[in-house]
Amino acid sequence: MLILSRRLNESIVIGDEVVVTVLEVRGDQVRLGIRAPRSVTVHREEVQREIMEQNRAAAAAAPSVAELPKLPLPSSPD
Amino acid sequence: MTAVMIDSERLGEVEIDESSLIEFPAGIIGFPELRRYAMVAAEASGLYSWLQSVDDPDLAFLAVVPGPFFPDYAPSINDDECDAIGLSDPQDAQLLCLVTVGDETVTANLLGPVVLNVRNRLARQVVLTDSSLSTRAPIVAV
Repeated sequence: MLILSRRLNESIVIGDEVVVTVLEVRGDQVRLGIRAPRSVTVHREEVQREIMEQNRAAAAAAPSVAELPKLPLPSSPD
Repeated sequence: MTAVMIDSERLGEVEIDESSLIEFPAGIIGFPELRRYAMVAAEASGLYSWLQSVDDPDLAFLAVVPGPFFPDYAPSINDDECDAIGLSDPQDAQLLCLVTVGDETVTANLLGPVVLNVRNRLARQVVLTDSSLSTRAPIVAV
């Protein structure tokens, strides 16, 4: 892991296009601003990990068309 | 190119019309390299769709339109996420939630919905900040 120290309003650059800036430091919380191209996603680590795990579980559990169970549907037609 | 043939592990051999293609500029979370998916109805009502990867025939997700099952579900998508898919008019946005099929239940990921811009067919999986939303919300016939 690369370790850098930054002060308020200083930035780091990742690759050519991702810029992380320290916007605010309050107590034990740091507010970061991130500039990144739209091909790069930026998320809180623990939430991304949860979403990724669920995506992988969904992909692995996806049945074939023949095995598709009866899916829950709204019962009353419009 | 008007049609693409895919030999899908789940859908079998299927011809995909270009009009059903959607592109995720950042991929789906956990699958960042795979950008192109075909959206194919999974059953007659149209509420459930397959998102079949065009680039990896073994990868497909089942997705559901959340509205009829989760009527209070109205997440706000922030500006950066909208900009990433060129979304300026809320009428152009279609929400889809990825579905996990279990032995007993079918669940929807409400914390990480897919937002599709129906105008330009760009899509993005968005991570919401409401921690009360579940990645495995049971879908129940209503």
